[in-house]
Amino acid sequence: MLSELTIGQFFPGRSPLHRMDPRVKLVVIFTYIVLIFVPQNWLGLGLGLAFLLTGVLLSQLPVRLILRSLRPILFIVLITSVLNILYIDSGTVLLQWGWLKITTGGISNAVFIALRIVALIVGSSLLTYTTSPTTLTDAMERLMSPLRVIRINVHEIAMMMTIALRFIPTLMEETDKIMSAQKARGADLESGNLLQRVRALVPILIPLLVSSFRRAADLATAMECRCYHGGDGRTRMKQLHVRRSDVCYLLATAALLAAMILCNLLLPSALI
Amino acid sequence: MSILETRDLTMTYGIKTPFEKTAVCGIDLTFEKGDLVGIIGHTGSGKSTLMQMLNGLLKPTAGQVLLDGTDIWADPKNIRSVRFRVGLVFQYPEHQLFEETCYRDIAFGPKNMGLSEEEIDTRVRVAASYVDLDPELLQKSPFDLSGGEKRRVAIAGVLAMRPEILILDEPTAGLDPKGRDTILNQIRAYRDENDATVLLVSHSMEDVARIADKVLVLDHGQVAMYDTTEAVFSRAEELSSLGLSVPAVTRIFMGLRAKGLPVGGNAYTVEQAVSALLPHLRKGGDADAV
Repeated sequence: MLSELTIGQFFPGRSPLHRMDPRVKLVVIFTYIVLIFVPQNWLGLGLGLAFLLTGVLLSQLPVRLILRSLRPILFIVLITSVLNILYIDSGTVLLQWGWLKITTGGISNAVFIALRIVALIVGSSLLTYTTSPTTLTDAMERLMSPLRVIRINVHEIAMMMTIALRFIPTLMEETDKIMSAQKARGADLESGNLLQRVRALVPILIPLLVSSFRRAADLATAMECRCYHGGDGRTRMKQLHVRRSDVCYLLATAALLAAMILCNLLLPSALI
Repeated sequence: MSILETRDLTMTYGIKTPFEKTAVCGIDLTFEKGDLVGIIGHTGSGKSTLMQMLNGLLKPTAGQVLLDGTDIWADPKNIRSVRFRVGLVFQYPEHQLFEETCYRDIAFGPKNMGLSEEEIDTRVRVAASYVDLDPELLQKSPFDLSGGEKRRVAIAGVLAMRPEILILDEPTAGLDPKGRDTILNQIRAYRDENDATVLLVSHSMEDVARIADKVLVLDHGQVAMYDTTEAVFSRAEELSSLGLSVPAVTRIFMGLRAKGLPVGGNAYTVEQAVSALLPHLRKGGDADAV
Protein backbone atom coordinates (compact mmCIF):
# COMPACT_ATOMS: atom_id res chain seq x y z
CA MET A 1 0.00 0.00 0.00
CA LEU A 2 2.80 2.35 0.86
CA SER A 3 4.28 2.01 -2.61
CA GLU A 4 1.06 3.31 -4.09
CA LEU A 5 1.73 6.65 -2.46
CA THR A 6 5.04 7.13 -4.13
CA ILE A 7 3.61 7.28 -7.62
CA GLY A 8 1.10 9.67 -9.11
CA GLN A 9 0.20 12.45 -6.78
CA PHE A 10 -2.49 10.87 -4.67
CA PHE A 11 -2.84 12.74 -1.39
CA PRO A 12 -4.81 10.54 1.00
CA GLY A 13 -7.62 12.10 2.95
CA ARG A 14 -11.26 11.78 3.94
CA SER A 15 -12.73 14.93 2.44
CA PRO A 16 -16.08 14.91 0.57
CA LEU A 17 -14.13 14.93 -2.68
CA HIS A 18 -12.07 11.91 -1.60
CA ARG A 19 -15.20 10.01 -0.70
CA MET A 20 -17.06 10.91 -3.87
CA ASP A 21 -17.85 7.93 -6.05
CA PRO A 22 -14.86 7.77 -8.44
CA ARG A 23 -17.10 7.24 -11.46
CA VAL A 24 -19.07 10.36 -10.63
CA LYS A 25 -15.85 12.22 -9.95
CA LEU A 26 -14.47 11.22 -13.35
CA VAL A 27 -17.64 12.29 -15.12
CA VAL A 28 -17.84 15.58 -13.23
CA ILE A 29 -14.22 16.49 -13.81
CA PHE A 30 -14.20 15.49 -17.47
CA THR A 31 -17.35 17.51 -18.03
CA TYR A 32 -15.78 20.39 -16.17
CA ILE A 33 -12.68 20.23 -18.38
CA VAL A 34 -14.84 20.52 -21.46
CA LEU A 35 -17.00 23.16 -19.83
CA ILE A 36 -14.11 25.45 -19.07
CA PHE A 37 -13.76 25.98 -22.85
CA VAL A 38 -17.42 26.87 -23.31
CA PRO A 39 -17.71 30.36 -21.80
CA GLN A 40 -17.09 33.29 -24.10
CA ASN A 41 -17.55 36.00 -21.52
CA TRP A 42 -16.46 36.91 -18.01
CA LEU A 43 -19.64 35.88 -16.25
CA GLY A 44 -19.48 32.38 -17.71
CA LEU A 45 -15.82 32.00 -16.77
CA GLY A 46 -16.60 33.36 -13.31
CA LEU A 47 -19.19 30.62 -12.85
CA GLY A 48 -16.62 28.02 -13.87
CA LEU A 49 -14.08 29.44 -11.42
CA ALA A 50 -16.65 29.50 -8.63
CA PHE A 51 -17.39 25.83 -9.35
CA LEU A 52 -13.68 25.07 -9.20
CA LEU A 53 -13.26 26.97 -5.95
CA THR A 54 -16.08 24.92 -4.41
CA GLY A 55 -14.22 21.80 -5.53
CA VAL A 56 -10.94 23.00 -4.01
CA LEU A 57 -12.69 23.78 -0.71
CA LEU A 58 -14.43 20.39 -0.73
CA SER A 59 -11.12 18.62 -1.35
CA GLN A 60 -9.59 20.11 1.84
CA LEU A 61 -6.18 19.90 0.20
CA PRO A 62 -3.38 22.20 1.38
CA VAL A 63 -3.11 25.27 -0.82
CA ARG A 64 0.59 24.79 -1.49
CA LEU A 65 -0.19 21.40 -3.01
CA ILE A 66 -2.58 22.98 -5.48
CA LEU A 67 -0.10 25.72 -6.30
CA ARG A 68 2.54 23.07 -6.85
CA SER A 69 0.41 21.48 -9.58
CA LEU A 70 0.63 24.79 -11.44
CA ARG A 71 4.39 24.97 -11.46
CA PRO A 72 4.97 22.86 -14.61
CA ILE A 73 2.58 24.94 -16.69
CA LEU A 74 3.68 28.36 -15.45
CA PHE A 75 5.86 28.77 -18.50
CA ILE A 76 3.07 27.94 -20.95
CA VAL A 77 0.73 30.38 -19.21
CA LEU A 78 3.36 33.12 -19.40
CA ILE A 79 4.09 32.54 -23.10
CA THR A 80 0.43 32.51 -24.10
CA SER A 81 -0.23 35.65 -22.08
CA VAL A 82 2.66 37.52 -23.63
CA LEU A 83 1.66 36.46 -27.14
CA ASN A 84 -1.93 37.50 -26.51
CA ILE A 85 -0.93 40.87 -25.13
CA LEU A 86 1.37 41.58 -28.06
CA TYR A 87 -0.73 40.33 -30.94
CA ILE A 88 -4.25 41.37 -30.09
CA ASP A 89 -5.04 44.84 -31.23
CA SER A 90 -8.39 46.07 -29.97
CA GLY A 91 -9.76 48.52 -27.43
CA THR A 92 -7.77 51.48 -26.21
CA VAL A 93 -4.06 51.59 -26.80
CA LEU A 94 -2.21 51.72 -23.50
CA LEU A 95 1.36 51.65 -24.71
CA GLN A 96 2.99 51.86 -28.09
CA TRP A 97 6.61 51.24 -28.94
CA GLY A 98 7.41 50.90 -32.62
CA TRP A 99 5.13 48.21 -34.01
CA LEU A 100 4.52 46.80 -30.54
CA LYS A 101 1.20 47.81 -29.12
CA ILE A 102 -0.40 46.91 -25.84
CA THR A 103 -4.16 47.31 -25.78
CA THR A 104 -6.87 46.78 -23.17
CA GLY A 105 -8.35 44.09 -25.43
CA GLY A 106 -5.03 42.25 -25.47
CA ILE A 107 -4.71 42.32 -21.71
CA SER A 108 -8.23 41.18 -21.09
CA ASN A 109 -7.82 38.35 -23.58
CA ALA A 110 -4.52 37.29 -21.99
CA VAL A 111 -6.02 37.19 -18.51
CA PHE A 112 -9.06 35.28 -19.79
CA ILE A 113 -6.97 32.59 -21.44
CA ALA A 114 -4.50 32.34 -18.55
CA LEU A 115 -7.37 31.81 -16.13
CA ARG A 116 -8.78 29.16 -18.40
CA ILE A 117 -5.51 27.19 -18.46
CA VAL A 118 -5.07 27.51 -14.71
CA ALA A 119 -8.66 26.36 -14.14
CA LEU A 120 -8.05 23.41 -16.42
CA ILE A 121 -4.91 22.25 -14.61
CA VAL A 122 -6.21 22.80 -11.09
CA GLY A 123 -9.41 20.93 -11.99
CA SER A 124 -7.63 17.91 -13.37
CA SER A 125 -5.13 17.78 -10.53
CA LEU A 126 -8.04 17.76 -8.07
CA LEU A 127 -8.90 14.41 -9.64
CA THR A 128 -5.42 12.92 -9.31
CA TYR A 129 -4.86 14.36 -5.83
CA THR A 130 -8.03 12.89 -4.40
CA THR A 131 -8.22 9.55 -6.20
CA SER A 132 -5.68 6.75 -5.90
CA PRO A 133 -4.48 5.34 -9.23
CA THR A 134 -6.10 1.96 -8.61
CA THR A 135 -9.47 3.51 -7.78
CA LEU A 136 -9.15 5.60 -10.90
CA THR A 137 -8.59 2.62 -13.19
CA ASP A 138 -11.40 0.81 -11.44
CA ALA A 139 -13.73 3.72 -12.18
CA MET A 140 -12.56 3.86 -15.78
CA GLU A 141 -13.28 0.17 -16.20
CA ARG A 142 -16.87 0.63 -15.03
CA LEU A 143 -17.45 3.72 -17.09
CA MET A 144 -16.11 2.08 -20.23
CA SER A 145 -17.99 -1.17 -19.71
CA PRO A 146 -20.60 -0.32 -22.39
CA LEU A 147 -17.75 -0.63 -24.90
CA ARG A 148 -18.03 -4.39 -24.45
CA VAL A 149 -20.80 -4.20 -27.02
CA ILE A 150 -18.23 -3.40 -29.69
CA ARG A 151 -15.99 -6.20 -28.41
CA ILE A 152 -13.44 -4.12 -26.55
CA ASN A 153 -12.26 -6.02 -23.50
CA VAL A 154 -12.49 -3.22 -20.97
CA HIS A 155 -11.57 -5.44 -18.05
CA GLU A 156 -8.27 -6.43 -19.62
CA ILE A 157 -7.36 -2.84 -20.40
CA ALA A 158 -8.10 -1.82 -16.82
CA MET A 159 -6.17 -4.80 -15.44
CA MET A 160 -3.20 -3.85 -17.59
CA MET A 161 -3.30 -0.30 -16.28
CA THR A 162 -3.56 -1.45 -12.68
CA ILE A 163 -0.65 -3.85 -13.07
CA ALA A 164 1.45 -1.22 -14.83
CA LEU A 165 0.82 1.27 -12.02
CA ARG A 166 1.53 -1.36 -9.40
CA PHE A 167 4.90 -2.21 -10.95
CA ILE A 168 6.25 1.30 -11.45
CA PRO A 169 7.76 1.51 -7.95
CA THR A 170 9.00 -2.07 -8.15
CA LEU A 171 10.77 -1.40 -11.41
CA MET A 172 12.23 1.83 -10.09
CA GLU A 173 13.70 -0.07 -7.17
CA GLU A 174 15.01 -2.70 -9.58
CA THR A 175 16.59 -0.04 -11.81
CA ASP A 176 18.28 1.43 -8.80
CA LYS A 177 19.71 -1.93 -7.80
CA ILE A 178 20.96 -2.75 -11.30
CA MET A 179 22.53 0.69 -11.63
CA SER A 180 24.40 0.22 -8.37
CA ALA A 181 25.54 -3.24 -9.41
CA GLN A 182 26.89 -2.00 -12.74
CA LYS A 183 28.49 1.03 -11.11
CA ALA A 184 30.22 -1.36 -8.74
CA ARG A 185 31.75 -2.92 -11.85
CA GLY A 186 32.95 0.49 -12.97
CA ALA A 187 30.13 1.44 -15.32
CA ASP A 188 30.36 5.15 -16.00
CA LEU A 189 26.89 6.62 -16.32
CA GLU A 190 27.63 10.26 -15.69
CA SER A 191 30.19 11.31 -18.25
CA GLY A 192 30.84 11.11 -21.99
CA ASN A 193 28.99 12.41 -25.00
CA LEU A 194 25.42 11.52 -25.91
CA LEU A 195 26.33 8.36 -27.81
CA GLN A 196 28.53 7.10 -24.98
CA ARG A 197 25.79 7.80 -22.47
CA VAL A 198 23.22 5.93 -24.51
CA ARG A 199 25.62 3.01 -24.79
CA ALA A 200 26.20 3.10 -21.06
CA LEU A 201 22.48 2.45 -20.61
CA VAL A 202 22.63 -0.97 -22.30
CA PRO A 203 24.00 -2.76 -19.20
CA ILE A 204 21.05 -1.35 -17.28
CA LEU A 205 18.24 -1.73 -19.78
CA ILE A 206 18.90 -5.35 -20.70
CA PRO A 207 18.82 -6.71 -17.14
CA LEU A 208 15.77 -4.54 -16.50
CA LEU A 209 13.99 -5.97 -19.51
CA VAL A 210 14.93 -9.51 -18.53
CA SER A 211 13.67 -8.98 -15.01
CA SER A 212 10.39 -7.46 -16.27
CA PHE A 213 9.75 -10.58 -18.32
CA ARG A 214 10.60 -12.73 -15.34
CA ARG A 215 8.24 -10.75 -13.13
CA ALA A 216 5.50 -10.89 -15.74
CA ALA A 217 5.80 -14.66 -16.00
CA ASP A 218 5.77 -15.04 -12.23
CA LEU A 219 2.76 -12.79 -11.89
CA ALA A 220 0.88 -14.67 -14.60
CA THR A 221 1.55 -17.97 -12.85
CA ALA A 222 0.50 -16.51 -9.50
CA MET A 223 -2.73 -15.15 -10.99
CA GLU A 224 -3.53 -18.42 -12.68
CA CYS A 225 -2.88 -20.31 -9.47
CA ARG A 226 -5.61 -18.22 -7.94
CA CYS A 227 -7.94 -19.06 -10.81
CA TYR A 228 -7.92 -15.70 -12.53
CA HIS A 229 -9.70 -16.08 -15.84
CA GLY A 230 -10.55 -12.56 -16.94
CA GLY A 231 -13.43 -10.29 -16.07
CA ASP A 232 -16.45 -12.52 -16.63
CA GLY A 233 -18.35 -13.29 -13.48
CA ARG A 234 -15.79 -11.58 -11.22
CA THR A 235 -17.16 -9.95 -8.11
CA ARG A 236 -15.51 -7.01 -6.44
CA MET A 237 -14.02 -6.46 -3.06
CA LYS A 238 -14.85 -2.75 -3.05
CA GLN A 239 -18.38 -2.10 -4.23
CA LEU A 240 -19.04 1.38 -5.52
CA HIS A 241 -22.28 3.10 -4.59
CA VAL A 242 -23.69 6.28 -6.01
CA ARG A 243 -24.96 8.20 -2.99
CA ARG A 244 -27.30 11.13 -2.76
CA SER A 245 -24.40 13.58 -2.55
CA ASP A 246 -23.02 12.15 -5.78
CA VAL A 247 -26.32 12.84 -7.53
CA CYS A 248 -26.10 16.41 -6.23
CA TYR A 249 -22.63 16.84 -7.74
CA LEU A 250 -23.89 15.58 -11.08
CA LEU A 251 -26.85 17.93 -10.99
CA ALA A 252 -24.61 20.85 -10.05
CA THR A 253 -22.40 20.10 -13.06
CA ALA A 254 -25.42 19.97 -15.35
CA ALA A 255 -26.64 23.28 -13.93
CA LEU A 256 -23.23 24.80 -14.56
CA LEU A 257 -23.32 23.68 -18.18
CA ALA A 258 -26.77 25.20 -18.67
CA ALA A 259 -25.75 28.46 -17.01
CA MET A 260 -22.64 28.78 -19.16
CA ILE A 261 -24.57 28.21 -22.38
CA LEU A 262 -27.12 30.78 -21.28
CA CYS A 263 -24.37 33.30 -20.59
CA ASN A 264 -22.97 32.72 -24.06
CA LEU A 265 -26.36 33.25 -25.66
CA LEU A 266 -27.40 36.30 -23.69
CA LEU A 267 -24.15 38.21 -23.23
CA PRO A 268 -21.74 39.45 -25.89
CA SER A 269 -18.45 37.57 -26.24
CA ALA A 270 -15.47 38.97 -24.37
CA LEU A 271 -12.95 37.15 -26.54
CA ILE A 272 -11.47 38.44 -29.74
CA MET B 1 48.06 0.02 8.79
CA SER B 2 44.72 -1.60 8.25
CA ILE B 3 43.52 -1.76 4.67
CA LEU B 4 40.01 -0.50 5.30
CA GLU B 5 38.85 1.67 8.12
CA THR B 6 35.72 3.63 8.91
CA ARG B 7 35.59 6.62 11.17
CA ASP B 8 32.32 7.71 12.71
CA LEU B 9 30.58 6.56 9.54
CA THR B 10 26.98 7.75 9.38
CA MET B 11 24.30 7.62 6.74
CA THR B 12 20.99 9.38 7.11
CA TYR B 13 18.39 9.07 4.38
CA GLY B 14 15.86 11.76 3.55
CA ILE B 15 17.41 14.51 5.65
CA LYS B 16 14.95 17.28 6.51
CA THR B 17 11.92 15.32 5.32
CA PRO B 18 9.35 13.50 7.45
CA PHE B 19 10.96 10.25 6.28
CA GLU B 20 14.38 11.00 7.79
CA LYS B 21 16.02 7.76 8.87
CA THR B 22 19.51 7.03 10.10
CA ALA B 23 20.54 3.69 8.62
CA VAL B 24 24.11 3.65 9.84
CA CYS B 25 25.12 5.58 12.92
CA GLY B 26 28.69 6.47 13.82
CA ILE B 27 30.44 3.22 12.94
CA ASP B 28 34.16 2.85 13.67
CA LEU B 29 35.65 -0.31 12.21
CA THR B 30 38.96 -1.64 10.98
CA PHE B 31 39.51 -4.49 8.57
CA GLU B 32 42.97 -5.98 8.20
CA LYS B 33 44.47 -7.40 5.04
CA GLY B 34 43.46 -11.04 4.66
CA ASP B 35 40.53 -10.83 7.06
CA LEU B 36 37.47 -12.89 6.25
CA VAL B 37 34.67 -11.20 8.13
CA GLY B 38 31.09 -12.40 8.30
CA ILE B 39 28.56 -9.58 8.69
CA ILE B 40 25.27 -10.47 10.33
CA GLY B 41 22.32 -8.48 11.51
CA HIS B 42 18.60 -8.72 10.98
CA THR B 43 16.79 -6.94 8.15
CA GLY B 44 17.14 -3.18 8.42
CA SER B 45 20.22 -3.26 10.62
CA GLY B 46 22.20 -1.22 8.08
CA LYS B 47 24.19 -4.01 6.41
CA SER B 48 23.52 -2.98 2.80
CA THR B 49 24.00 0.70 3.52
CA LEU B 50 27.33 0.00 5.19
CA MET B 51 28.44 -2.19 2.27
CA GLN B 52 27.58 0.41 -0.30
CA MET B 53 29.40 3.11 1.61
CA LEU B 54 32.55 0.99 1.80
CA ASN B 55 32.97 1.02 -1.98
CA GLY B 56 31.71 4.53 -2.60
CA LEU B 57 28.31 3.75 -4.11
CA LEU B 58 26.75 5.75 -1.32
CA LYS B 59 28.34 8.87 0.05
CA PRO B 60 28.18 8.97 3.84
CA THR B 61 26.36 11.94 5.35
CA ALA B 62 29.07 12.09 8.01
CA GLY B 63 32.32 10.35 8.79
CA GLN B 64 34.91 8.75 6.55
CA VAL B 65 35.87 5.53 4.83
CA LEU B 66 39.64 5.16 4.73
CA LEU B 67 41.12 2.87 2.12
CA ASP B 68 44.84 2.38 2.79
CA GLY B 69 44.64 5.40 5.02
CA THR B 70 43.15 7.83 2.50
CA ASP B 71 39.56 9.05 2.52
CA ILE B 72 37.83 7.58 -0.53
CA TRP B 73 35.83 10.77 -1.03
CA ALA B 74 38.92 13.01 -0.87
CA ASP B 75 38.68 13.29 -4.64
CA PRO B 76 35.16 12.43 -5.84
CA LYS B 77 36.43 12.07 -9.43
CA ASN B 78 38.49 9.13 -8.30
CA ILE B 79 35.61 7.17 -6.87
CA ARG B 80 35.58 4.71 -9.76
CA SER B 81 39.08 3.52 -8.94
CA VAL B 82 37.88 2.87 -5.38
CA ARG B 83 35.13 0.67 -6.77
CA PHE B 84 37.72 -1.38 -8.66
CA ARG B 85 39.68 -1.94 -5.48
CA VAL B 86 36.65 -2.69 -3.32
CA GLY B 87 34.59 -5.20 -5.31
CA LEU B 88 30.95 -5.48 -4.37
CA VAL B 89 28.79 -8.47 -5.27
CA PHE B 90 25.13 -7.63 -4.77
CA GLN B 91 22.42 -10.00 -3.71
CA TYR B 92 21.17 -12.07 -6.65
CA PRO B 93 24.05 -10.81 -8.81
CA GLU B 94 22.80 -12.94 -11.73
CA HIS B 95 20.12 -10.30 -12.27
CA GLN B 96 22.75 -7.88 -13.55
CA LEU B 97 24.01 -10.06 -16.44
CA PHE B 98 23.51 -8.38 -19.78
CA GLU B 99 26.11 -9.37 -22.37
CA GLU B 100 25.73 -11.80 -25.24
CA THR B 101 28.32 -14.19 -23.86
CA CYS B 102 29.53 -14.97 -20.38
CA TYR B 103 33.02 -14.05 -21.48
CA ARG B 104 32.00 -10.52 -22.39
CA ASP B 105 29.99 -10.14 -19.22
CA ILE B 106 32.92 -11.10 -17.03
CA ALA B 107 35.10 -8.75 -19.10
CA PHE B 108 32.82 -5.76 -18.41
CA GLY B 109 34.57 -4.76 -15.18
CA PRO B 110 38.16 -5.16 -16.45
CA LYS B 111 37.20 -3.32 -19.65
CA ASN B 112 35.93 -0.41 -17.58
CA MET B 113 39.28 -0.39 -15.83
CA GLY B 114 40.88 0.29 -19.20
CA LEU B 115 43.11 -2.80 -19.26
CA SER B 116 44.72 -4.22 -22.39
CA GLU B 117 43.02 -7.01 -24.36
CA GLU B 118 45.52 -9.66 -23.20
CA GLU B 119 45.22 -8.59 -19.59
CA ILE B 120 41.42 -8.73 -19.85
CA ASP B 121 41.63 -12.19 -21.39
CA THR B 122 43.84 -13.54 -18.59
CA ARG B 123 41.67 -11.98 -15.94
CA VAL B 124 38.46 -13.40 -17.39
CA ARG B 125 39.94 -16.89 -17.58
CA VAL B 126 41.42 -16.74 -14.09
CA ALA B 127 38.17 -15.40 -12.65
CA ALA B 128 36.21 -18.14 -14.41
CA SER B 129 38.50 -20.76 -12.93
CA TYR B 130 38.01 -19.32 -9.43
CA VAL B 131 34.30 -19.92 -9.68
CA ASP B 132 34.84 -23.31 -11.31
CA LEU B 133 33.19 -22.29 -14.54
CA ASP B 134 33.58 -24.65 -17.47
CA PRO B 135 35.65 -22.78 -20.16
CA GLU B 136 33.12 -23.96 -22.75
CA LEU B 137 30.41 -21.97 -21.00
CA LEU B 138 32.33 -18.74 -21.56
CA GLN B 139 31.10 -18.50 -25.13
CA LYS B 140 27.49 -19.23 -24.23
CA SER B 141 24.83 -16.68 -23.48
CA PRO B 142 24.52 -16.11 -19.73
CA PHE B 143 20.75 -16.42 -20.12
CA ASP B 144 21.07 -20.07 -21.19
CA LEU B 145 22.77 -21.15 -17.97
CA SER B 146 21.31 -22.65 -14.83
CA GLY B 147 20.71 -20.46 -11.77
CA GLY B 148 23.86 -21.59 -9.98
CA GLU B 149 26.00 -21.11 -13.08
CA LYS B 150 24.61 -17.61 -13.64
CA ARG B 151 25.45 -16.70 -10.07
CA ARG B 152 29.00 -17.93 -10.59
CA VAL B 153 29.40 -15.94 -13.81
CA ALA B 154 28.20 -12.82 -12.01
CA ILE B 155 30.61 -13.33 -9.12
CA ALA B 156 33.42 -13.92 -11.63
CA GLY B 157 32.51 -10.54 -13.15
CA VAL B 158 33.57 -8.89 -9.89
CA LEU B 159 36.54 -11.19 -9.21
CA ALA B 160 37.93 -10.31 -12.66
CA MET B 161 38.62 -6.81 -11.37
CA ARG B 162 40.90 -8.44 -8.75
CA PRO B 163 39.57 -6.35 -5.89
CA GLU B 164 41.77 -6.17 -2.81
CA ILE B 165 38.62 -6.12 -0.77
CA LEU B 166 35.69 -8.28 -1.79
CA ILE B 167 32.27 -7.64 -0.32
CA LEU B 168 29.49 -10.14 -0.97
CA ASP B 169 25.83 -9.72 -0.07
CA GLU B 170 24.20 -13.10 0.57
CA PRO B 171 26.12 -14.88 -2.18
CA THR B 172 24.48 -18.19 -1.30
CA ALA B 173 20.84 -17.09 -1.12
CA GLY B 174 18.56 -19.41 -3.04
CA LEU B 175 21.24 -21.95 -3.94
CA ASP B 176 21.12 -25.67 -3.21
CA PRO B 177 23.56 -27.04 -0.58
CA LYS B 178 26.07 -28.11 -3.19
CA GLY B 179 26.04 -24.73 -4.93
CA ARG B 180 26.42 -23.06 -1.56
CA ASP B 181 29.45 -25.15 -0.62
CA THR B 182 31.08 -24.47 -3.99
CA ILE B 183 30.69 -20.72 -3.71
CA LEU B 184 31.88 -20.52 -0.11
CA ASN B 185 34.97 -22.60 -0.92
CA GLN B 186 35.72 -20.41 -3.91
CA ILE B 187 35.44 -17.25 -1.87
CA ARG B 188 37.89 -18.64 0.63
CA ALA B 189 40.24 -19.73 -2.15
CA TYR B 190 40.19 -16.22 -3.62
CA ARG B 191 41.09 -14.79 -0.24
CA ASP B 192 43.90 -17.30 0.35
CA GLU B 193 45.49 -16.87 -3.06
CA ASN B 194 45.30 -13.10 -3.29
CA ASP B 195 45.63 -12.18 0.37
CA ALA B 196 42.42 -10.24 -0.15
CA THR B 197 40.06 -9.03 2.53
CA VAL B 198 36.58 -10.54 2.27
CA LEU B 199 33.41 -9.26 3.89
CA LEU B 200 30.52 -11.67 3.67
CA VAL B 201 27.02 -10.51 4.49
CA SER B 202 24.80 -13.45 5.28
CA HIS B 203 21.67 -14.51 7.05
CA SER B 204 22.99 -18.03 7.36
CA MET B 205 24.86 -18.51 10.62
CA GLU B 206 26.13 -21.84 9.26
CA ASP B 207 27.77 -20.10 6.28
CA VAL B 208 29.39 -17.49 8.49
CA ALA B 209 30.56 -20.10 10.98
CA ARG B 210 32.06 -22.16 8.18
CA ILE B 211 34.27 -19.59 6.54
CA ALA B 212 34.60 -16.42 8.61
CA ASP B 213 37.50 -15.70 10.97
CA LYS B 214 35.71 -12.75 12.48
CA VAL B 215 32.09 -11.78 12.81
CA LEU B 216 30.60 -8.31 12.80
CA VAL B 217 27.13 -8.02 14.26
CA LEU B 218 25.12 -4.94 13.34
CA ASP B 219 22.03 -3.75 15.13
CA HIS B 220 20.06 -0.59 14.41
CA GLY B 221 22.92 0.86 12.40
CA GLN B 222 25.47 0.32 15.13
CA VAL B 223 28.13 -2.26 15.87
CA ALA B 224 26.75 -4.71 18.42
CA MET B 225 29.73 -7.08 18.36
CA TYR B 226 32.93 -7.39 16.36
CA ASP B 227 35.14 -10.25 17.42
CA THR B 228 36.43 -13.67 16.40
CA THR B 229 33.80 -16.11 15.19
CA GLU B 230 34.21 -18.22 18.29
CA ALA B 231 33.81 -15.31 20.65
CA VAL B 232 30.71 -14.00 18.90
CA PHE B 233 28.94 -17.34 18.72
CA SER B 234 29.64 -18.01 22.37
CA ARG B 235 27.33 -15.10 23.19
CA ALA B 236 24.22 -16.97 22.06
CA GLU B 237 21.79 -15.22 24.37
CA GLU B 238 22.83 -11.75 23.33
CA LEU B 239 22.56 -12.78 19.70
CA SER B 240 19.05 -14.07 20.11
CA SER B 241 18.05 -10.86 21.88
CA LEU B 242 19.16 -9.09 18.67
CA GLY B 243 16.87 -11.32 16.64
CA LEU B 244 19.77 -13.50 15.47
CA SER B 245 20.74 -17.04 16.28
CA VAL B 246 23.79 -19.24 16.54
CA PRO B 247 24.56 -22.13 14.18
CA ALA B 248 22.42 -25.23 14.71
CA VAL B 249 25.46 -27.20 15.88
CA THR B 250 26.19 -24.65 18.59
CA ARG B 251 22.58 -24.88 19.72
CA ILE B 252 22.87 -28.67 20.00
CA PHE B 253 25.99 -28.31 22.08
CA MET B 254 24.31 -25.83 24.37
CA GLY B 255 21.42 -28.25 24.74
CA LEU B 256 23.75 -31.12 25.56
CA ARG B 257 25.47 -29.09 28.22
CA ALA B 258 22.14 -28.03 29.68
CA LYS B 259 21.31 -31.74 30.01
CA GLY B 260 24.52 -32.18 31.98
CA LEU B 261 26.69 -33.88 29.37
CA PRO B 262 30.33 -32.96 29.76
CA VAL B 263 30.97 -31.64 26.24
CA GLY B 264 33.61 -28.97 26.54
CA GLY B 265 34.36 -25.99 24.42
CA ASN B 266 32.22 -24.39 21.81
CA ALA B 267 31.46 -25.89 18.46
CA TYR B 268 30.08 -23.86 15.61
CA THR B 269 30.88 -26.11 12.65
CA VAL B 270 30.06 -29.75 12.08
CA GLU B 271 33.78 -30.64 11.95
CA GLN B 272 34.41 -29.11 15.36
CA ALA B 273 31.36 -30.86 16.72
CA VAL B 274 32.58 -34.20 15.44
CA SER B 275 36.00 -33.81 16.99
CA ALA B 276 34.47 -32.67 20.27
CA LEU B 277 31.99 -35.54 20.42
CA LEU B 278 34.10 -38.44 19.17
CA PRO B 279 36.07 -38.90 22.43
CA HIS B 280 32.78 -39.15 24.32
CA LEU B 281 31.39 -41.69 21.88
CA ARG B 282 34.54 -43.80 22.07
CA LYS B 283 34.05 -44.05 25.81
CA GLY B 284 30.70 -45.63 25.01
CA GLY B 285 28.01 -46.02 27.61
CA ASP B 286 26.17 -42.85 28.44
CA ALA B 287 27.32 -41.04 25.36
CA ASP B 288 25.36 -43.42 23.13
CA ALA B 289 22.38 -41.30 23.94
CA VAL B 290 24.11 -38.44 22.15
